[in-house]
Parts: sequence; C-alpha cells; structure tokens
Amino acid sequence: MSDKLLSGRLRHIFMLAALGAGFALFLVACGGDDDDSGGSNANVEVKETVAASDCGPKAGEKATGTPIKLGALATKQPGTDFSEIPRMTEAYFKCVNDNGGINGHPVDYVIETEQTDPGQAASQARKLIESEKVLGIAGSSSIIEADVNHKYYEQQGYYVIAAGIAPSAYGTSNISSVNMGPRYSSDGATQALIRKKVKKIVLVQSNVPGTEYIQEGPELITKAAGLPFEGLKENVPIQDANSVALKAVQAAGDDGGVVLNFTPPEALKILQAAQQQGLQDRVKWGCSTPCNTDFLAKALGDAWDGKLFVNAELNLITADAPDSNLYREVRKKYAPDIPLGSFSQMGFIMGRIATEALQGVKGEYTKDSVNKAFLDVKDFKTDILCGPWYYGKAPLHLPNNIDRTVTPQGGTMVENEDCFPISDVDPAIKQVREIEAKDPSLIGK
Amino acid sequence: MPSWDEFQPFIVTGLALGGVYALSGVGLVVLYRATGVLNLAFGAVGAMGALIAWELINNAGWDDYPAYLMCILFGGVVTLAYGLLFGPPLANRDPLVKATASLGLALILLGTMSWIWSDKARSMVLPTSNENFMVSDVLVNYTQVIGFAFGVVVTFATAAFLRYTGLGTAMRALANDREITATLGVPVRRVEAAAWLGSGLLAGVAGLLLSNLVGLDATTLTFLVISSLAAALIARLQSLVVTLVAGIVVGLVNALITPILSISEYRDMTPFVLAIVALLWLSRHREISISRSA
Amino acid sequence: MSVATEPRPRSPLSPGRVSSGDARRAVVIVALLAFVLFAIPTLLSVFWLKVLTGAAIYSIVALGLGILMGRVGLVSLGQIAVLALGAWVAAKLFFDTGLPFPIVLLLSGLITMVLGTFVGLPALRLGGLYLALITLMMAGAITVVIAATDFPNGGPGFLAHVESSIGGGDQVRRPAIAETDPAYFRYTVIVTALMFLVALWHVRSKAGRAWEAIRQSEPAALAAGVNMTLYKLWAFALASFLTGVAGALLAANVGDLFNYQFPTSQNITLLAVVLMGGIYSLWGAVIAGLLFRYLPELLDSWNLPADLLTILFGIGVLQVLLTAPAGIVEQFPKDMARLGRAIGRLVGIGRSR
Repeated sequence: MSDKLLSGRLRHIFMLAALGAGFALFLVACGGDDDDSGGSNANVEVKETVAASDCGPKAGEKATGTPIKLGALATKQPGTDFSEIPRMTEAYFKCVNDNGGINGHPVDYVIETEQTDPGQAASQARKLIESEKVLGIAGSSSIIEADVNHKYYEQQGYYVIAAGIAPSAYGTSNISSVNMGPRYSSDGATQALIRKKVKKIVLVQSNVPGTEYIQEGPELITKAAGLPFEGLKENVPIQDANSVALKAVQAAGDDGGVVLNFTPPEALKILQAAQQQGLQDRVKWGCSTPCNTDFLAKALGDAWDGKLFVNAELNLITADAPDSNLYREVRKKYAPDIPLGSFSQMGFIMGRIATEALQGVKGEYTKDSVNKAFLDVKDFKTDILCGPWYYGKAPLHLPNNIDRTVTPQGGTMVENEDCFPISDVDPAIKQVREIEAKDPSLIGK
Repeated sequence: MPSWDEFQPFIVTGLALGGVYALSGVGLVVLYRATGVLNLAFGAVGAMGALIAWELINNAGWDDYPAYLMCILFGGVVTLAYGLLFGPPLANRDPLVKATASLGLALILLGTMSWIWSDKARSMVLPTSNENFMVSDVLVNYTQVIGFAFGVVVTFATAAFLRYTGLGTAMRALANDREITATLGVPVRRVEAAAWLGSGLLAGVAGLLLSNLVGLDATTLTFLVISSLAAALIARLQSLVVTLVAGIVVGLVNALITPILSISEYRDMTPFVLAIVALLWLSRHREISISRSA
Repeated sequence: MSVATEPRPRSPLSPGRVSSGDARRAVVIVALLAFVLFAIPTLLSVFWLKVLTGAAIYSIVALGLGILMGRVGLVSLGQIAVLALGAWVAAKLFFDTGLPFPIVLLLSGLITMVLGTFVGLPALRLGGLYLALITLMMAGAITVVIAATDFPNGGPGFLAHVESSIGGGDQVRRPAIAETDPAYFRYTVIVTALMFLVALWHVRSKAGRAWEAIRQSEPAALAAGVNMTLYKLWAFALASFLTGVAGALLAANVGDLFNYQFPTSQNITLLAVVLMGGIYSLWGAVIAGLLFRYLPELLDSWNLPADLLTILFGIGVLQVLLTAPAGIVEQFPKDMARLGRAIGRLVGIGRSR
C-alpha cells in the first residue's frame, strides 16, 4: 500500500516538473511580452519635443519629502481589465517623483483591483480609505464601484477623479470623470452616424447591467432627429458573431446605422463577422470609445478603412501637441508594457490633474486639503481633451462633454470629425451645460 | 414573426455554427470512444495552440503556415503528454473521475493563457476566411466550409477507422476494458498514445478553425466545449454520426431563433435545453449509467 | 459511482450515542467559534472581514457539494447556478414581502430546496458522468435565463425588475442587528455554523447511513433494500437547501446582485476547491470556502496575478484525484505529521535508528 503511494508520489513530482519545464520553455520561446509596444510605436514616431523630465518642477531631482498617499480602484478580471488605467497614472506619478515631486513630496500610489463583485468593491474602497489611509483617490476605473461606493465617498469627504463606467461616475456629487462613459460616448457615435445620413439607428450592447441606462441617451437623440431607433443586447462572450452581425444589419435595414458598445475583443468579433459576410457596406457602422485603440485598427485590417466611426473621448494618440507628446514619453519610459490608446491616455490625464491640483496646496497635505484641491480644479486645459476639465461642487459631473470622431486607416485611428459637443437632448448633458453657464469660470470663460 | 427572407441568411450562419459545435463535439466523442476519457480540456488545448500560433506570427515573425503547424503540433504534444502521464494511473477509475481530471488540465491551460496573453483584441485570419462565395444572398467564406467539411470528414473517417482497422478495433477494446485488452496481448500503452495524439492533433486543428469561426479569445474557446458537449450528450457519447447531426441541429436552431426578437435573448440556451431534453427522453425507460464498459 | 475509491469517512455513530471523542471535538469547535466571533473582528480590517464573510458563505455552498460528492458520490456541476437561484428567491421575497431576515433565509433555503429537488428528480436516473454533465447543462441554461431577466430589485410583476438607475438600490437589506460589516460577519459565521450542524446531523442520521451504502456500492445498496431515488433526492434537497440559504446571505452581503457574479465557469472552480479541500470531512468545506474567496485576495495583496490561482486549482484537482483523494483536510495533517517525524529524526528524538 505504501509502495503504491510512494510511486504515485514520485510520478506526481515528475508530472509537476514536466509541466513546469514545458511551460517555462514556452514562456521563453514566446518571449513573453505580446503587448506590441515596439510595433505600434513605429507608427507614432512624432518628433518628441518634450522630455519626460517635464513631469515635475525640478528636472532629474528625486523627491524626498514625506510621501503623499493616493489610491485607485480598478476592475481586473478575465475579459475585463481596466487596471492599465491606474497603472498609467502610477507611471506619471513615478515620473513626477523623479523630477522634484509635488512641492518636494513624492507620491505613494496604491492600486486595488476588484472582480465586479459589489461586496468586494465596497471592501476595497474601505481598504483604501481606512486601512491604507490614502489622502485622495484618483485614477479609478471600474464597472461597478462608482455605484457601490459613491455614498461612502460622500460620507468620508472624498472627491474622486475617475475614468468612470458606471452611471454613478457621472451622476453623483463626489465623482468626476475624465471620460464620458458608455452612454454619452454612444450618444456621440449616434450623432456621428446621424450626420452621415442614416435612416435608422440600431444600438447593440453587451448584456451587462446598465444597458437600459446606456440606451436611453442614443434613443432620445435618434428620436429627436426624427429617426426610428432599436436597441439590442447580446450575451458576452459572443460565440456566434455571424448571427449577431446579421441580426444587427437586418434590424438597421439598408442605409441604416449600427452603433456597437462592446469591449474591443467582442467588438472585433462582430466587425470581423460582418466583414466576412460582406456586411460592412450594407449599413454605416459606429462604435463607442472602447473601439478607439490602434490594436483594433490593426486587427481589423484595411477592409474597414474609413468605414467604422468611433467616438473618441480623447485626442489621437498620434497628436503632436505638448501633453500628447509628454504622454508618449512617460509611457515609453515608465510603462512600456501598457499599449498606446485611450485607456493609458485617461490614466495619464488623471495623473496630470491630480499633480497640478496638489501643487497648488499651501500647507499640510491632509485628507481635507487634498480633496479640497481636487474639488477646486477648474479650467484644466490639455490638448488630450477637447475642452477644459473641471470638478466643482455640483450634483453631477460630466466635464468631458465634447468629442471627436475617429476612423481606422492603415492600421491606426485617424481623425474623421473634429471636436463637437454631445447633444443636450440627453437630459444630463443639458443639466451640465446649465451648470457651466452658471459658472463659466469652470471652463475658463 | 420575421419573414422567410429574414430567416434565410440565418440558415447559413446556423450551419456554420452547427459546424463549430459538430467539430468540437466529434473531437470529444472520438477520444471518448478510443480511451474512455471525456477530455473537457479540448477547447483549452485548441485555444492555447491558436494563441501560440498568433504569437509566432505577430511577435516572432514566423510565416503563417509553419505557425499553424506549431498550433496543431502543440495540440498533439500537450494532449499526448497529459494522456501518458495521467492516463494510466486513472485508467481504472470511473469515467467521471477521468473527466474531472481533464477539467484540471483545462484550468491549468486557462490560467496559463490568461497570464501570458492578457485579454486584448486579437485576430488571426486564416487565408481561407477572405475567400468567399454567395449562397442565395449570403456570403459564405471558405473557413466556414472547411470547418463544416472537416467535421463531416472526421466523423466518417474516424467511424470507419474505429470499425475497420486493427488499431481502431484495439482502441475500442481498450476503452471497453483495459485490463482484458492488455491480457489479450494488445500493446495497450501504444494504442492509448495513438488515440491521445490523434485527438490532440484534432484539437489543434479545431482550435485554428474555431479561432476564425468564433474568435481568438482564450475564455470563449475554452468554454465553447460546454456548448459542444450538448451535441456529444445527445449522442450519449457513443455515435459519431449522431454527434455530427446533433451539433448541426443545435447550431441551426440557435441561429434561427436569432431574428425572433421576443426570445432572441434566450437563444444561447439552445444547446443546454436540447441536451437536457434529449437525455431525459432517452433515459425515460431505464437508467443510463456509465460503468467501465463504455 | 464514487469519485475516489480510497478512504472512507469515520463510521457514523448510531444516533443518540455521544462518545468522549465527540465531546472533545465539540469543545474544540466551540472554542474555535468563539475565537472567530469575538477575536477576529478586532484583529482584522473591515476589508478582510468582508473577505472572510464571503469565504463563510461559499463554504456553505462547498458543504452542499461536498456532501453530494463525498457522501453519496454524485457530482453536480451546477451549484453556482443554484446559488444564483437562492439569491434570486431572496431578492424576490424581500421585495414582495416584509418578512424579517431570518425568515427570508429559511424560506430561501426551502424554496431553493424544492426547486433543486424538482430539477434533480428526472436527472437522478442518470448515473455518474451523465449526472455531472446534465447539471452543467442546467447551470448553463439557468445562467442564460438570469442574464436575460436579471435579478429582482423591486419592480412590478413576477420578474420584479426595475431598470437600473443611477446609484442602484440594495437588493436584500441586512437584518437590523447586523447592518455593519463586522456585525454581518458574525451573523454569517453563526448561520454558517448552524448550516454545518444541519449537515452533521444529516450525516449521522439514517440518511447518512443510506448514503454511505449507496456510495460503497449501488447494486449492494439496492439489494439491501435502500430506496436509492429517495436518498439521492434527499442529498440533492439538502445541498439545495444549504446553497439557497447561502444565496440569501450572499444577496445581503453584497447588496447588489448582477448576473455576472455567477458565471458558468465558477461551477468548475467550485468543484476544484471542494476536491482540494476534501470531500470526506465537513472541515473540507471550510477549507474550500477559504480557497475560493480568501486565497485570491491574499495573492492579490502580494501582487501576484489571479491567473496563478487558476493554474493552482487545476494542479490541485489533478493532485487530489491522483494521490490524495481525501483532500487537504486529511493530507495536510498527514504531511505535517510526516514533516514532524522527519524533523524529529533529524534532531534525534523519537524512534531511534
């Protein structure tokens, strides 16, 4: 009996060793890094007129004061990974720390992740604020945490800067986002297609909670333009992309428009299925901002050149302008494994906003002074955004409400339409415009 | 209720989807018939092979066809290694145990894939996906044709192989009762190895085709095996031809429900509901159980 | 259809007789429980308390599956779907009635038990592998239905679903005595302990002996006159009841329910952790719950990727099936004992060479 166990044990050890060796071999052979930073950089070799030292006031000097602790919470699970957004914010802070810090203080940055479990998201927020004792939260990006945690942030007096996704990231007092989120981005894509003279709009989304909220905006805008509207939902991950693409095209009819709201891998499935069935010319295709990535443009190939209209909440990653150049420099130096795209752009901007806000703090860095600094941000100009960013005391925040449209061309995204305002047929946008009208200093007027 | 014109193109996508289910289902049943193991890691093996091929083409500068070959070889080697290491010690155990063990392999592969290749939009387009032809108003591409044809060919070729060749008969005997087969002088280990290798190569080819037909995404391809199981279950893990037909029917029904908007959201239930109904119907008179005699 | 052929659980005593071993175990358990209830909330942060609350909840689910697998030899790959059903029932009850929380817990368990039995009845004529696969099919089907209909959150009609709005609402509110996270942790631990008692009582009862007979050999049990269908159903009913209660606890723990909290793939992960924890002892379920909810957070706090865990679970499944069918709960003490002996030999104490 014990002999049998022993030989079983030996075999067991051999098995583990074999597996280990096999995988090690493959890891070596494949060279690990597949986030093709080298490849996509080749298209973006714009003349770099900035150096990464522009992050901070004292070039080359490492900050040595007492650290300012900041934190962020992001969704990270198979199929949905937004952790590169705060990681880019972290990269920016590293750059700041290498170049004088914030009034001499380095930033100590804590990133927590959650797997779309509300209980977990709630506990991670408490971990950040009560255990890690972060003074402020900037860089968060989560599907659910805004909904779960906004009341807690209110109770604790935190003004969070986020790249939001959940409705509460735009509709509550204590969160302000650098992006506009799925609903308003779908609004923008809808507006772009309406301008291309489609006869009907069909919005196709992944079937996760929040679809009705997201659908409301495009539906109102479409109906206000006098066109028929239809909303479809698909379970992800998609197994039968052919049928999904076909169904959408049938619903839109000839000369119709289809707006997709999916993560890039799922959107790619639908678009490729559409192309393989020759459907890319039957209707006009639009997509909300997740599609705005060169990875997708490359994967789509030239069959889609100029045929997909993507709402871009941020400027092109290839733009030749101070902040955009700095973004690419910082990414190259501090986070080369994070691909170029809107995710890392958002992370970068949040780092910039937080840094500039905190540099204006006179006196001690405490939870109150840090959050007041965030709250007081107004008229923050950057070439990555169409309009100035702001926070301010308000029941809701949608500072990013002006967008561009981009389209794939030769493996990258290029501009198709310049900055245009999101339609105020959508009530929240209307409310936000009224807030801006009442206090024009928010947007520098 | 949609019109006939609106249903028509879904017949084509349904056959394509059916081909997908049939291909995976047949792959599952083939190995089960030959070794008594239901290899639930079939999808994961194919997925990893496809991702390796993608990696070789996009990051190591390989040409397309050698990379595809690596994918197929990977499928064969991993499955063979698993079979050689874990086949014999589990050989006398319940088929349930053997299937559960393959879930272990699936988890290992899935974790490895998620680790090395984080979730991004990837695409590896086979040359045949860009060639297409019209069938009554719907474009059909050659990868779909190959997927479908491959499923059919594998079904009939394997059925014939198992029935008429010496090696095939040895495999069937092996699946039936390993010990008696061994005492009859059949080189059990070699026959088993052949079965595992064959099934693994099949998984590699399926992975390549499915990466085009469904998408190059580790989680989707790994769990596609659950929907494909439906076809295999309807055939009670026995008849390859029934698996083929069942896979096609499941795919067709799934796709045809798509345009019926009132129940369209439920169409992903099709494989599961059909499998449950079929199994319960088939077992209505007597107990079905799998003992060691498959 | 036994999942593993080797060890047998300790022979159940005839009811009514409590041995001194039992009494000692009871004292240890009570002491442990007291520690968990009173000391742990003061030692750990709110974050880790919430993690452990989740671990406790999933240990109840693991308990149900462990009993099915270890005592009766049935594998169900659909327990996460049953958990979702339990959460659904709890949410519906909460919105349609004003019943107090403990009643909601109990009713969730009972209704889920009825649903589970109803679903299990036709499937029971299938054996081993088929049963496992058909439960997987059912899990897939239930997952799709829940994705299409979403969880009740106070709206009208049977499906009771209101379109989501900004801020969302709590689907199942916690009992008034346990609204804070630490208090809810204690509440959950107490309910978990109660569920384990229920399971233990079953295992020691006539049903437990019938299960043991079925697990050893179905034909023999049949010949001995054991009503197979009844006792298999009983096991399913118990597992569904436990999982239903866990579902209600889960709903109140998280406050919001989403369909993606119960993906089909989790059924497989659950199977892995239950196997690894050990299906022959009730303690294995506790380990399974910790593996399922605590270990991922631990790895995350060490900045290790969650994918590592998936790989680990895969290796764990293979390991258990090959060499240690009783799982960690029996293997770990054995390994520790062996380690202890090895150390003893090294240091020269114990049996002299």
